[in-house]
Amino acid sequence: MRSQADITRGMPVTIEVDGQMIDSFSGETLLAALVAAGHMRLRNDQEGQPRGFWCNMGTCSECFVSRLDVTPVRRIRACLITVEDGMRIATRSISYD
Amino acid sequence: MLVEQASTGSGASGQNAGSLHFQIERRFLERKGGLGLEGEQTATLSRIAIDDWSTLEDRLGVSLHVHMNGGLMVAENADQVAILKAKADRERAMGLSVETIDGAEARRRAPYLSEGIVAANFMAAEGHADTRKIAPAFATAATAAGAEIQIRTRLTKLEWQGASFRAEIIGSEGAFTVGAKKVLVAAGVWSARIAAMANLHLPLFPVGLTMSASERTPHFLPHLVQHVAQRLSMKQTEAGNILIGGGWPSRLHRVDGIFDLSRPAELIIQSLRNNLSVATKTVPRVADLNLIRTWTGVTAVTPDQLPIAGEFPTMPGLFCAAGGSAFTLGPTFARLVADQMLERERDEADRLLAVASPARFDSLNGFMGR
Amino acid sequence: MTNSIHHYDVAIIGGGPAGQAAALVLDQNGARIAVIDEQQRPGGQILRQPPQEFAMAQSMKGKSYTSLKSQLRAFEALNRCDWIGGKSVIGIDRSGGTVDLTLASGDGITQVSANRLLIASGCYDLPIPIPGWTLPGAMGAGGLQALVKAQAVVPDGRVLLAGTHPLMLIVATQVIAAGGTVAEVAFDQRQSFLARLLIKGAGTALRNFGLMLDAASAWATLRRAGVPVTFGQRLSVIEGLNRVSSARIGKRTVHCDAVGLCYGFLPQSDLPRLAGLSVRWAQPTGGWAAEHDGWMRSSVSQIFVAGETSGVAGAPAALLEGQIAGAGIALDLGLIPMDEAEAIRRDAARKQIRVSRFAALLDRIADPTSALTALRDANTILCRCEDVTIGAVETALIQDSDPNSVKLVTRCGMGTCQGRGCEHMLLRLAAHKRGVGPNELRGFTSRFPVRPTRIGDLIG
Ligand SMILES: Cc1cc2nc3c(=O)[nH]c(=O)nc-3n(C[C@H](O)[C@H](O)[C@H](O)COP(=O)(O)OP(=O)(O)OC[C@H]3O[C@@H](n4cnc5c(N)ncnc54)[C@H](O)[C@@H]3O)c2cc1C
Ligand SMILES: Cc1cc2nc3c(=O)[nH]c(=O)nc-3n(C[C@H](O)[C@H](O)[C@H](O)COP(=O)(O)OP(=O)(O)OC[C@H]3O[C@@H](n4cnc5c(N)ncnc54)[C@H](O)[C@@H]3O)c2cc1C
Ligand code: FES
Repeated sequence: MRSQADITRGMPVTIEVDGQMIDSFSGETLLAALVAAGHMRLRNDQEGQPRGFWCNMGTCSECFVSRLDVTPVRRIRACLITVEDGMRIATRSISYD
Repeated sequence: MLVEQASTGSGASGQNAGSLHFQIERRFLERKGGLGLEGEQTATLSRIAIDDWSTLEDRLGVSLHVHMNGGLMVAENADQVAILKAKADRERAMGLSVETIDGAEARRRAPYLSEGIVAANFMAAEGHADTRKIAPAFATAATAAGAEIQIRTRLTKLEWQGASFRAEIIGSEGAFTVGAKKVLVAAGVWSARIAAMANLHLPLFPVGLTMSASERTPHFLPHLVQHVAQRLSMKQTEAGNILIGGGWPSRLHRVDGIFDLSRPAELIIQSLRNNLSVATKTVPRVADLNLIRTWTGVTAVTPDQLPIAGEFPTMPGLFCAAGGSAFTLGPTFARLVADQMLERERDEADRLLAVASPARFDSLNGFMGR
Repeated sequence: MTNSIHHYDVAIIGGGPAGQAAALVLDQNGARIAVIDEQQRPGGQILRQPPQEFAMAQSMKGKSYTSLKSQLRAFEALNRCDWIGGKSVIGIDRSGGTVDLTLASGDGITQVSANRLLIASGCYDLPIPIPGWTLPGAMGAGGLQALVKAQAVVPDGRVLLAGTHPLMLIVATQVIAAGGTVAEVAFDQRQSFLARLLIKGAGTALRNFGLMLDAASAWATLRRAGVPVTFGQRLSVIEGLNRVSSARIGKRTVHCDAVGLCYGFLPQSDLPRLAGLSVRWAQPTGGWAAEHDGWMRSSVSQIFVAGETSGVAGAPAALLEGQIAGAGIALDLGLIPMDEAEAIRRDAARKQIRVSRFAALLDRIADPTSALTALRDANTILCRCEDVTIGAVETALIQDSDPNSVKLVTRCGMGTCQGRGCEHMLLRLAAHKRGVGPNELRGFTSRFPVRPTRIGDLIG
């Protein structure tokens, strides 16, 4: 949920996460945009159990997602990266079978 | 009794690349004067090692993540292809089953290979195993068979006393001495220091190497991949990490002109960058993976690059098994040296280990040993 | 990998209170400085700033923030100092005579070289392996706070704060101020235990009036908002299917959609250990704090430390250490005469006495040891990266109680976070098994790159 208390956010931007369009604002971190959209599950562990972010400061590596709209594709920490219009993201992109 | 100063697998055995390479190693190709008879003898040991590895999991009764899905040694230009072909001819003559395939066939078998690969030598028996598992598995099996293994227990003195050896040892409970008729020095890069305790020279030199692991990725690389002209080894672990190595140096710490083996070697960034370059040129898709860890490990080399395994002629009763690619060949050396120590089919063991015998450095010990 | 290397007199890792304070001293004395931080903007963890694109009413209102905020403004006004934001330092190399740093970001690799390095890289939330802590919605309380104060985003639904550290009172009020709902603030300790410590340390507490006032006003705010603040009932399980839906506190089930776990902080020790600095086990919360002399010099020449890197003691202490480190580096580089450096140090050291007493009091109050011991559950994942349970680690410890051997056998600590999450607990378990203190054990070896880095960026 985005706080509405005394805040002016940046320009609206739209990003695509696992094929779904998500509204965000310029300046937001990708993780904040995901949390605001209620997208808490960022990957599965080896047993298929859901995982979300833990530290929100770049140290735990739980928020690694794949950024698909750039060449080459990058695996990035959602909590450190700022959203950009047209950003395409895949979560849970590493699966174990 | 086996004494280990730290933990089983804490030395090179727990740090290495885990390659099971049975083709003639690239570093031998770098040797002046070629391979000679030693090449043939090493190939014989390799053939035995292939059998040893194929049955090791059964014999130890645990999974060691042994994968023998084949190994590819790749080439990128005509000169390198010529080396591959000559090498395969030699290897076949030695009874190793190696075939040279062209780039298209290599990519058919290994679709992940770069377009720049024009040929490869393929050997079906090659592969890799999980370094993390081997030493603990051997330790468990040895204990079950009645061996006494003492970890965090350090040998500090070793003397020949006319009829037997006297070993001074410091363990977690304090110091003690042990008498033994026969002693095996299998202390990896520290072996020269143990030999020195017994007043012997052992020409075994430490070298620092570099290894890297990517984050996990779905399995796509079932083989061992090497390069004929550049230092490279690649494989994918059971967990999914891509391991990248191949003999790129790291820097040993030095104190007073002596190599300090108590500290991990220092990373040489340029070494790592070169290693990763060769890796991505060979298997382009690894470029998109994240590197999660680069580590350094220290192993031991000899003046002729061959291992040292067998009994010291100047000090009967003292045996050595160290140096060389002792992950691939370690289980085989262990078995053969054990045969020697137990006088079990000793002649056969002596014959097979002739190429590795400490006897070839005996001239160094003309003034030593007493 | 680019080959243009930028050279500075001093490189500072971390733009928090410690890094800023050092930069201000150094800039004043003519040093060419670069301050590098993974975050886009300066501030560090305590003053994590909203993005430039946002206009936000002052989010950090408390009294204790005043001097930190004025320092931040002064730092941002420096025009000779290069701010390198949004880049992670992944390696430190001293073999060339200078201190050479490798930096990684989404744009690839860059290099910075300097004559002196200050590591002021702060701390991180103590990862607390309790049942359910891997569920989406369970997070470090500091991480939650940063989401609220720098991004003005709160997790949907009811937020539970649980732990031992009083910081959670403040986080709870920030969640409420941002329009979120706090289910409860659950202190693990009994109220009588807290009262006893506070009475004993009353003098210290009073002399750190600002911080105490913030905590007290936070408590009042929570009262007004009808948020229960409970004591002595332990959070034992976090439950949920696809994300957090409830938690067990004492014998009660509390419905909640997110949990902020607040048991204290560990120093970031990856870079200090990579560079070979001597470290000591930080009691009681754990982790490795870098050792230093009176000028904040580490055991390795050319490298200084300040702030939480030298032990978690809070923002005011970090600021003072930063000043001393700045003076120490200036002295080392011959930019400042001894008497001036000494004056800066004396002034800071005098103030340090007060804040360090308070930090010690806070350490005693927030000690997570009994919670960590009580919550040891064999089926709970300890190493989140490699899915290694506490039970698997305990089994491996029976074979060999050496932490690095357990790591090899179980893969605990072999994943993408390089052990930042699990090392402290593995060391605690190993120490317990061996009947020694964690300080007597050898921790993991820190290795390049200390943050995962795209392989293709490193080649060449
Ligand atoms: C990075 C790297 C990659 C490699 N890759 C490969 C590969 O892919 N394939 C391959 O075949 N080989 C490889 N090797 C080589 C291989 O790892 C070694 O040859 C092999 O592991 C050596 O085993 P070891 O038992 O002789 O020595 P180690 O595993 O080093 O064991 C020696 C042990 O002796 C103990 N010790 C030393 N002194 C004392 C003392 N005084 N008292 C008690 N204990 C003592 C040490 O603590 C140590 O645990 C690699 C090596 C490295 C470093
Ligand atoms: C998430 C969080 C929230 C906190 N909130 C509060 C609070 O509200 N009140 C309070 O009193 N205390 C809080 N603390 C404690 C806080 O750390 C200190 O009070 C204060 O910020 C310490 O200052 P510092 O300068 O030592 O480090 P920090 O302020 O933490 O600054 C260190 C900086 O270094 C950067 N960094 C670390 N590693 C690297 C790297 N490898 N490469 C590049 N940059 C790197 C980090 O991004 C960070 O910005 C919090 C701690 C955390 C972890
Ligand atoms: S949430 Fe921990 S690294 Fe991003």
